Amino acid sequence: MSRAVEVAVVGGGPGGLSAALAAARAGAQVTLLDGYTRPGGQYYRQPPDRLMARATRRQRQGRALWQQARDAGVEILSDWVVWDAAPDRTLAAAGPDGTTLIHPAALVLATGSYERLAAFPGWTLPGVMTSGAAQALLYQGVAPGKRVLLVGAGPLQLTTAAELLHAGVEVAAVLEAAPVLRKILPHAAAMWGQWERAVEGLESVLALASRGVPYRTGWGIVSAYGEGQVEGARIARLDADWRPVAGSEREVACDTICIGYGFIPFNALSRLAGAQQEWRPELGGEIPLRDKHMQTTMPGIFAAGDGAGLGGYRSALLEGQIAGLAAAAFLGRAGLGQESALRGLARRLERERAFQRLYSSLFAPELGLYELAQPDTLICRCEGVTLGDLQAAVRENGAASFVEAKNITRCGMGECQGRVCGQMIPQIISRLSGVSPEQVGSNAPRPPLFALPLHRLRAADQAAAGRSFERRL
Amino acid sequence: VKQKLSGLRLRHETQGTGPEDAPFALSVDGEEITAYPGDTIAAALYAAGRRAWRTARNGEPRGLLCGIGVCFDCLVTVDGVPNIRACQALAQPGMVVVTGQRGEDVE
Repeated sequence: MSRAVEVAVVGGGPGGLSAALAAARAGAQVTLLDGYTRPGGQYYRQPPDRLMARATRRQRQGRALWQQARDAGVEILSDWVVWDAAPDRTLAAAGPDGTTLIHPAALVLATGSYERLAAFPGWTLPGVMTSGAAQALLYQGVAPGKRVLLVGAGPLQLTTAAELLHAGVEVAAVLEAAPVLRKILPHAAAMWGQWERAVEGLESVLALASRGVPYRTGWGIVSAYGEGQVEGARIARLDADWRPVAGSEREVACDTICIGYGFIPFNALSRLAGAQQEWRPELGGEIPLRDKHMQTTMPGIFAAGDGAGLGGYRSALLEGQIAGLAAAAFLGRAGLGQESALRGLARRLERERAFQRLYSSLFAPELGLYELAQPDTLICRCEGVTLGDLQAAVRENGAASFVEAKNITRCGMGECQGRVCGQMIPQIISRLSGVSPEQVGSNAPRPPLFALPLHRLRAADQAAAGRSFERRL
Repeated sequence: VKQKLSGLRLRHETQGTGPEDAPFALSVDGEEITAYPGDTIAAALYAAGRRAWRTARNGEPRGLLCGIGVCFDCLVTVDGVPNIRACQALAQPGMVVVTGQRGEDVE
């Protein structure tokens, strides 16, 4: 079955909610499709209703934005997974009763990002998880473990550690791979006016310090060990290229290891829709090319937030507003004063981008991160492809591109569709073959973007789909 | 290897205000476990002391990795439907969850 809408927004995080709100306030009829059980995305991830009294300020802000969007008349379809997008803006969206083809007159993609991981020996042991996974458990009132080690790059590790401590969970240490303090001095000017961010970071550092939890910058994980699950980690001081310094290694006992090296934009839908992509490592990798109104190279397809280039929630809120107004204008719903509103948003966005440049220069992964895996370490967790398999593909079969490595080993072809290993493989092939990561290329997204039960992939019949729409209105 | 790590439910987080907040039971591999409204299956498994519940293609135990529905490492079978993400699906009273799903089941 199919359905025409004026503006479709994909993604219910800060970018998607603000886009939907802006478009609705400009007079457009808006449908927001979100793959999760409730809006908020990762940044505004909502607690279960029974724990709402304990919600954080961030969760309350998210709930307020969700309610504003609903009050403005946005139709919010939660647990609707968009698994394909066409150049004519048609979306294949799996609802509870099957798939509906949505035909929007304008489309805003606000699909967010997911955590960047890097393989190390032991990284497949249960108990190794992203910081986002630990937060998700914590917000449901469940601790990820008894004693947690956090390793990675960027402020999320610090924030998560502070949240774990606040919930009464023991934190073994926080290891920040980037030599933050040494690197931040040349950028002090860019921090001007960023006091809110500085205070947030400082609060987390103080929370750690007050409980005697070590926060080590320029340190990282070498391997994890344990029988059937994590029992500890080997850690080491890192050099400027994030390579472990010989002789600095030590062991840390822990049952949980949270990892995360920044984020990867989820650009698959804009790519499937035919929007031209560009390679911008400082914004997370491959992202859609956009004009100042967040329009991709495909007319009427806009992209906002981390999924179109990393910038954090403040950028996502601003880009969402710009994209929402521009989507409404695309339908001829430009209100009075729209031009000056857009100019104001653009000025604020420019300031946010200055911070993003600082952020990426501080925490961008160095090559050593991708050298921790040993020949028997899995790179593609789904298909069981090891570093040794990739070495053989390059050295014996001459693979020099992602596609060739995939044809030989099946890397990136499993259940996750390469979302976990897809960004490491170009780095690994590049190191083995001498070809640049950009030339190695990326893993092409293929529909359905998410593995779904067949009853959700097949076309929803008219009656069933009608019922599910009503349930959510 | 199914090792247990018990006591992960944060005590102050179990309380709700109304009757709709009461805990309930679901079945996991024939064993009853307790969940609270709003728990994902993964959270209920963790609270019950289970953190490894799937078997990868190479035979390794797997559990929660990304927690946000992108990695598909935490798949379980729910009421007979395979390949359900434990980190996304909410636990429901009376639900029958079977774990130990092997990677090759996903075709």
